[in-house]
This record gives sequence, structure tokens and C-alpha cells, in this order.
Amino acid sequence: MSGKIIFLLLIAVLLAACSPAGTSTLAVAVTEPSASTSEGATPITLIDDLGRTVVLAVPAQRVVSLAPANTEILFAVGAGAQMVGRDETSDFPAAALALPTIGGYSGFSLESIVALHPDLVLAQGGGFNSPELVASLEELGLTVFSLPNPTTLEGMFNNLETVAALTGHVNDVPTLLASLRARVSAVDEKIMPLSYAPTVYYELDATEPSKPYTAGPGTFVDLLISRAGGVNIGSALEGQWAQISLEQLVVANPAMIILGDAAYGETPEKVSQRPGWGTLTAIQTGQVFPIDDNLVSRPGPRLVDGLEALARLLHPGVFK
Amino acid sequence: MKIRPFLYTLLFLVLVVVLSIAIGSVFIPPADLGRILVGWMKREALSEPLKTFAFILTDIRLPRTVLVLLSGAALGGSGAAYQGLFRNPLADPYLIGVASGAGLGAVLAMSLKWPYSFWGLMAVPAMAFISALLTVFLVYALARVGRTVPTTNLILAGVAFSSFASALTAWMMLHSTGELHRAIAWLIGGASQAGWGPVLTVLPYLALGLGVLVLSGHALNLLQFGDEQAQQMGLPVTRARALILLAASLTTAAAVAFSGIIGFIGLIVPHVMRLWFGADYRRLLPLSIIGGAGALLLADVFARSVMAPQELPVGIVTAIVGAPFFLWVLRRAKNQGYW
Repeated sequence: MSGKIIFLLLIAVLLAACSPAGTSTLAVAVTEPSASTSEGATPITLIDDLGRTVVLAVPAQRVVSLAPANTEILFAVGAGAQMVGRDETSDFPAAALALPTIGGYSGFSLESIVALHPDLVLAQGGGFNSPELVASLEELGLTVFSLPNPTTLEGMFNNLETVAALTGHVNDVPTLLASLRARVSAVDEKIMPLSYAPTVYYELDATEPSKPYTAGPGTFVDLLISRAGGVNIGSALEGQWAQISLEQLVVANPAMIILGDAAYGETPEKVSQRPGWGTLTAIQTGQVFPIDDNLVSRPGPRLVDGLEALARLLHPGVFK
Repeated sequence: MKIRPFLYTLLFLVLVVVLSIAIGSVFIPPADLGRILVGWMKREALSEPLKTFAFILTDIRLPRTVLVLLSGAALGGSGAAYQGLFRNPLADPYLIGVASGAGLGAVLAMSLKWPYSFWGLMAVPAMAFISALLTVFLVYALARVGRTVPTTNLILAGVAFSSFASALTAWMMLHSTGELHRAIAWLIGGASQAGWGPVLTVLPYLALGLGVLVLSGHALNLLQFGDEQAQQMGLPVTRARALILLAASLTTAAAVAFSGIIGFIGLIVPHVMRLWFGADYRRLLPLSIIGGAGALLLADVFARSVMAPQELPVGIVTAIVGAPFFLWVLRRAKNQGYW
């Protein structure tokens, strides 16, 4: 029965190895030499998407972004130079590509994040970065702020203000917001008098062309299409990534097809060759257009670019 | 009892543990590793970058290594027990619904909004654990015929209920909005929560469950003769089987709760151990526990270094690397009729 004895010994070893005494907590002291610019500044206190109160004594100088929208926001508010790391999918602006990555969609590397000594890790809430990830980073002694996943343009503008506050760019943000708001109003003003609102089918994925996916209600795609003077046929469906059948599509017969999956190789030519799609008016009239999906799906400042791009597609006569 | 198989598997385990501590997406030069150890022994304060490296070792790699080790041990041990219990080479720890039950509980927990607090964060593992055990009890009750629980009934009830639970899980995932990615990661064994909390939470269940399993080797040996024979040899068959089933399911449920559903380890590790070291369950169980720990840890080392700093869900690695390895072992085995 020596096997049993060996096993019991093994269990004992495991138990000993797991006792909290083994957790010699050598907390990383993130000493910041950059505090000289903010003498006497009051600490920055904000509540994040998870309801956590996050306090920064001084504006963050070493920021790791865990989401592409966060990276775009950081650069937009002028904090790009304070970034020290990004997630794999942060590919805009081009300057972000020079930063080291800390993992991405399939999993983040905690040790890569710790090794960068960030004084702020900017996560994205609303199901993008999980609460487990935030808890893990917090347990490692890092300051994490989970940015709400907005559902309106105002919500996105609030995020710009939040990130500006966290990174010490509060003074620059009014100009940015004013210009973004002005661009949105310019679109609104041109759309307002129009009586014609074309119906739009926005394609997210057509791996199975008879049952493609489209953007449902509550998405930025849906919001921006109506703001750009169109009617998203997906808004009548259920769920944000909504499946639509070719039959429903034929009945709805959209005036325009916009290919959000253009980045995955879908082209107007390919769409017109799909079996059964030839009956759609949009195909017969050549109203099929590719778009950069990142402009209309990432909750960052480029949503305004996306709004303008959609408005130009939907009402080419007015936006020239 | 032969000691050599234990030496081999323990040696393998120790090697993998060293590998797991040494390898990660942040490269720690071996010389620095030595300096850190010396610094600890002399109780000196470490300077940068040694301080950061030491923090990564003690607070990230070590707890992760131990959690993966425990999960692998649980899956290997309960896999061997399930195979012995059902006398079926296709049996694995998920056979009668632990995985599908845990998946249903976890995805249900993810679809609800929890406060960001200790208990809010415990919701997913706790619901996965409870739902896994409830599933096993339900399947056991459904399979019952009078005072006996025939294994065939148990397998069929388990498979049927698993399909039902998986369908519910898939339906919930289709109707979720933002939590889809989190759910998929959990279901393919890519969940990970850092720190010692998860380790300390699962430890009591695993110690209890694995303890029972290690002591049940003799009973499992008797069960291989068939129920009637085992009964005649003095084994209270129904009660022994229920106890082993409970221990194996408890172990698996605890392992799955924090790590997600990691496939294949519970199926192949016991087979490899059986092919190499024979089918005596008194030996097979502890060997599968040690082997499972080593195998899963090796898969985890792969998962976090192949695409570093990206991490692959470990459940993908266990099948992609594990399946060819198992086929190789199977082809080379001399005792082909080993089962």
C-alpha cells in the first residue's frame, strides 16, 4: 500500500504549498516620478461602470488600454503619449501599433500588464472586459477603471470627458467635444428637412448567405443609420446581433445594402452573385456599398466619422 | 506495490511545475531567477526589475500553477473513477452531466447582473458548482430502478439530460447581448481568475473528493468483475458506486467552477496511465491524479506561451495537443486488448 502513503504525502505537500503563508506579497510599488506637474492637485475620484470608486492621486501617466475604443479615446483626448500598452485589436490610430500588446480577444496576459507598471488600466465594461479580469488586475494591486459601454453619442462624449479627467487633459476636451458636436449637428441640419428615409440592411456577417446577421436595436449601427436619415430594417428584430432570413430580407426589400463585413472580403459583386439575392431592389439598382465597420461599431470618437460616412451613402445628393 | 510508476509521474509533474514557473509571456532570465532566490534566502529587499519579476512569480504564476494543477488532478482522478465505475472506455468526468450542468449554471449566472463585490464575483463559480451537483443528483434519481441504479440507465439519463441542458445553455447564449464571449471562453475552458482565492476555495472539496477516490481503488477493482460478482465478494455495490460517483462529481464540479469546462484530460490521462502502468485501480487512481495535474499544467504552459501575450483557452490545447499524443500512445501500446 505504498501508493496510498505516497499519495497522502503528495496531498500534504500540496496543502503546504497552497497555504497563504506562501503568498509573500511583494506589492509592486509604482513610484511615479512625474508628479511634479501637479503639485497640490486634488485627487481624481470617479465611479466606473462596475460601480467601483476609482481614485487617482495624480493624472495617470502610464496607461494600458484593454479595448480598441479605449485606445482611440485616449489618443483623441491627447493622452496617446501616456499609453504604455494596448490590447491586440487596438489598431487605430497608427501610432498605437507601436505600443506593446498585452493580449487580446482570446485572453489577456496578466504578467505582461504588470510588467508595464501601469498606473491605470483602462477596461471597457458592458461585457467587453469581464468583471473577473477587473478583479484579477485589482488583486494584483493595479488601478483599473472600467469605462461604460455607451449606447448613445452623448454617452460616448461622456467617456471622452472621463478619460480626459483620468489622464489630465480636462482643458483640451471642450474643444474636441465642440467640434464633434458641431459635426453631428451639421448632419442633423441637413437630414432634418428631408422627407425621404431609405431603408437599409446593414450586414455584419454572411457566412451563411441565406441567414445573415445584421445589427439589431440598441446598437450604434442602428442609432447612426436613423441619425443619418435612414431606416435600419434590423431595428425590428430582436437582439443586438440579430439573424435575419433571406425571406424576411426579400419582404423588407431594403433600398440599400451596407456591407459591414467588407473587411472579411465581402464585396458588392459577391453579394449580387449570392443565390436568391438578385430579386432585391438594392442589388438591381446597384445600391450596395462597403463600409469600415470600425467606424460605426467601436464606441469611440470615430462614430462621428461613421455618421458622416453613412449620411453620404444614404443621401448623396445632400452631402456632396 | 511497484514504486517506479509513481517516480516517473512525479518526476514529470515536478518538471512541468518548474516549466510553468519559468515560462510566461514576460521573459525572466534564468540568472535573474537565481538572483531572486538568493535575495529571498538572504531576506534582502529586491531592486527593479527583480522586484517585478518576483511579484509575477509569487502573485501570478504560482497561484495559476497551483489552480491548474488542482484542476488537472481533479479531472484525471475523477476520469479514472468514472471509467472504472461505468466499465466503459468512453467515460469521462462529464459523462453524466457535470459539464453541461455547470455550463448551464455559469451561463445563467453571466446573464444576470451582479454587483461588483466578493459575492457578485463568486456568482459564476458558485452557480456552476451547485448546478453541476444538482444535475448529477437529478440524473441519479432519474436512472433509479427500484433499489438499484443500473449503469446503462445512468449513462443514458446523463446523456439525455446533458443534451437538454446544453440546448438551454445555447439558447441563453443566442439571446445574450454582451456576455457571449465570456460564456464561450468559459465553456471551452478559458476562464481564469488570478490570485489565491480560487485555489483556497476549491481546495477543501478537492481534498475530500480526491481522498475518497484514492481510497476507493479496491472497490473499483472489484466492480470490474461485474455487479453480481462484486456483491458476492462482499462489496455493497450500490452504496460504493454512489459514494465514488459523489466523490468524483464533487471533485469535477469544484475544478470546473473556476476553470471552465476543460475537455479531454479526464478521458485520456487515465487511458495513458492504464496503457503504461496497468489497470489496477489502487495504482491507477493516484497515478491519474498526478498525471492529470502534470498534463493539464503542460497544456496551460502551451496555452499561455504559444501566442504570447495572447492566451489560448486551455481547453483548446488539451484537445489539439492531447489527441495526437494519445493516438501515438495507443498505436505504440503492446497490450492492445488492455481494456
